[in-house]
Amino acid sequence: MIEAFLWALGMGLIGAIAFAAIGLVSGTDETAVVAPLTLLVVLLGVPASGVFSFFLAGVVAKHITHAIPTTLLGIPGDTMAVPMLADAQQLRDLGVPHIALRKAISGGVVSAFIAVPFAVLFATLLSPIADEIGDAAPWIFAGAALLIAFTSKGRWAAMAALFPFVLLVVGLNLFVTQQLGHGLSISFFLGIATGPLIADLFLAMSPSGRKTLERSKPSEFDLAPDVRTWKGRMPNPLKVLDRKQLAYTSGAAVVSSATFVFSPVAMTVMMGELAGSRIKNGYHRLTTMMSVRNGTTESTYIAETLIPLIALGLPLSPMAAGPAAPLFNAPPVYSVNAETGATHNLHDLLSTWEFLVFGLLAVAIAALVAYPFAMTNAHRAASWVMRNVSHEAIIGAFAGLILVICLYEGGLLAVLVTVTVGLIGGLMNRLLGVHSGVQFMGYYAAVLTVPALIAL
Amino acid sequence: MSRLIEVWGDTVDSRHMTGAIALGIGIATPTFLLGRRIFESTVDDQTLAQSYALLVGLGACLVAAVISARLFKPKRVVTEVEATLEGRRAALDAIAAEGGEWTDPAELAREVQEELRSLGLYDVLVEAHRDRQEEVTA
Repeated sequence: MIEAFLWALGMGLIGAIAFAAIGLVSGTDETAVVAPLTLLVVLLGVPASGVFSFFLAGVVAKHITHAIPTTLLGIPGDTMAVPMLADAQQLRDLGVPHIALRKAISGGVVSAFIAVPFAVLFATLLSPIADEIGDAAPWIFAGAALLIAFTSKGRWAAMAALFPFVLLVVGLNLFVTQQLGHGLSISFFLGIATGPLIADLFLAMSPSGRKTLERSKPSEFDLAPDVRTWKGRMPNPLKVLDRKQLAYTSGAAVVSSATFVFSPVAMTVMMGELAGSRIKNGYHRLTTMMSVRNGTTESTYIAETLIPLIALGLPLSPMAAGPAAPLFNAPPVYSVNAETGATHNLHDLLSTWEFLVFGLLAVAIAALVAYPFAMTNAHRAASWVMRNVSHEAIIGAFAGLILVICLYEGGLLAVLVTVTVGLIGGLMNRLLGVHSGVQFMGYYAAVLTVPALIAL
Repeated sequence: MSRLIEVWGDTVDSRHMTGAIALGIGIATPTFLLGRRIFESTVDDQTLAQSYALLVGLGACLVAAVISARLFKPKRVVTEVEATLEGRRAALDAIAAEGGEWTDPAELAREVQEELRSLGLYDVLVEAHRDRQEEVTA
C-alpha cells in the first residue's frame, strides 16, 4: 500500500508538471497529447496507482493552465475551453482579465475536489447493474455514438456519416489483422485525434485546397496587461469565489459528475447558462459563469473517466473513449476483449477505495503545482509561449509523434492507417462538423457493435 | 503567393512548416528505430524493450520541437493593450445585449461589492445602472 501510494505521489507530480506546461500551449488537442503520454506510462510498466494518478493530476493541471491562454489571449486553451471564450473576452474588455482567470481556475479546483468523491459515489450506485450494462455495451455504444453525433455541429449529417466511418474502421482493422496478425487501436486514436492537422496538411499540398488556407498577414493577438491585485500569500480558491459562486460551482460539479455519457463541451455550455440565467447583474453573472463553466470542464472530465473505469471497465463515455483510452486499453499491458467483453485494466487492478484516495491525491498534487503557478505567472508564461513556441515546432513534433507511435504499434502499415483515418476524419470534422468525440465513439461501435450485430 | 497559411488553428510559414515536419520525422524516426534495435538486444524483457524505444522516440520528438522553435520563430503579432474607456463602454453594452442586466450594484452581496470596489469597477457599474434607467424612462 505504501509503495502504491509513493508511485501515485511521484507519478502525479510528474503528470501535473508536464501537463501544466503543455496546457499553456494553446490548441494542443487534449486527446492527442494526454492519450499518448498516458499510454507511454502504462507501457513502461508503472503500477496502476501511478498510472491513474499521472493521468488525473495531468488532466486537472492542464485544465488549470489552459485557462491562461483562454482568458489572457482570447484563444481557447483546448476544445473544452471554447465555451468560455466569449465571457472571458467581455471581462477582458471590462479591464479585468485577471478576474476572469482567477474565477475560472478557482472554480476548477473546487469542482475537481467535489467531482472525485461524487464520481466514485455514482459509480458505486451503478455497479450492481454493471453486468447488465456490460452485456448491453455494444448497443449502448451504438446509441451513444448516434446521440453524440446528433448533438455535434454536424447533426443529421454526423449521424449519417457514422455509418461509412464505422465501415472504414472495420475494413481497415480487418485488413491490418490479416497482415500483422493483430488489430490496431492506438493508431486509430491518433488518426482521429490529429485528423484536423492531417487534413490541413493535405489541403496545403493541393493547389486548390491551399487557397482556402492562405493568409495575408501573421495572426494577431492582444495580450491583456499584467494586473495583480493581491499581495503576499496565495489567494485561497474558496475566498476568490463569493458564496453564491461557490454554491453554483459546487452544484454544477455534483450534477455534472452524474452525467457521464454526454459531451463535456455540451455540459459546460449548459451548466454555465443555467447559472447565468439565475443571476441578473452583468458583472456578477459573467464571473459566476466563468467559474461554473471551468468547474464543469473539470468535473465532467473526472466523472466521465472515473465512472466507466470504476463501474464497468469499458470506455463508455466520450472522455473514456478518447483521452483516457489507455487506462482501459493499452495492449499488451491493459486490454478489453472485444468478443467476450472481459477486461484487464485499471478497473480490475484498483479498488473503489483506491480510486477515491489516489483520485483525491492526484487532484491535490495538481492544485498545488498548477494553481499557484497560474495565479502568479500567468502573464509572463502566456507572453513567453506566444513569442517563443512557434506553431511550426508543434506541428513538427506531432509529425514525429505520429511516426514513432505508429511504427511502435504496427510498422509502416500503422502509419498509413493513421494517415487514412486522419484524412477522412479530419475532412469530416472540417466539412461536416463531425468532431473527434463522435469519431472515437464510432471506433468503439466498429469494434464492439459490429461483431455483436454479425453474431445476431 | 503568400507563404503564410493557417494549419491546425494558427498561422505558419509553409516552408518553415515543411522544415519542422522534416526535422520531427527525420530526428524521431531514426532515433526510435535505432533505439529499438539496441534495446531489443540488451534488455531481456522484450515488451519493456519496446517501451524504452518508444520513450526514446518521444524524447526525440521533444528535441526536434526545441530545434524547430529555435529555427522558426512564431508568425504572431502580440500586442499588449490596456482596456480603454471606449472598449469598456462597448463591453457594458455587449454584456447587456447577451442577457446581463445592469442592476444597482448596491443590491449585490457585500462581498461582491467589495470585489468591485477593489477593481475600481463599482462606480462604472453605478453609472451603467443609471444609464439604463434613463433609457427606460426616456
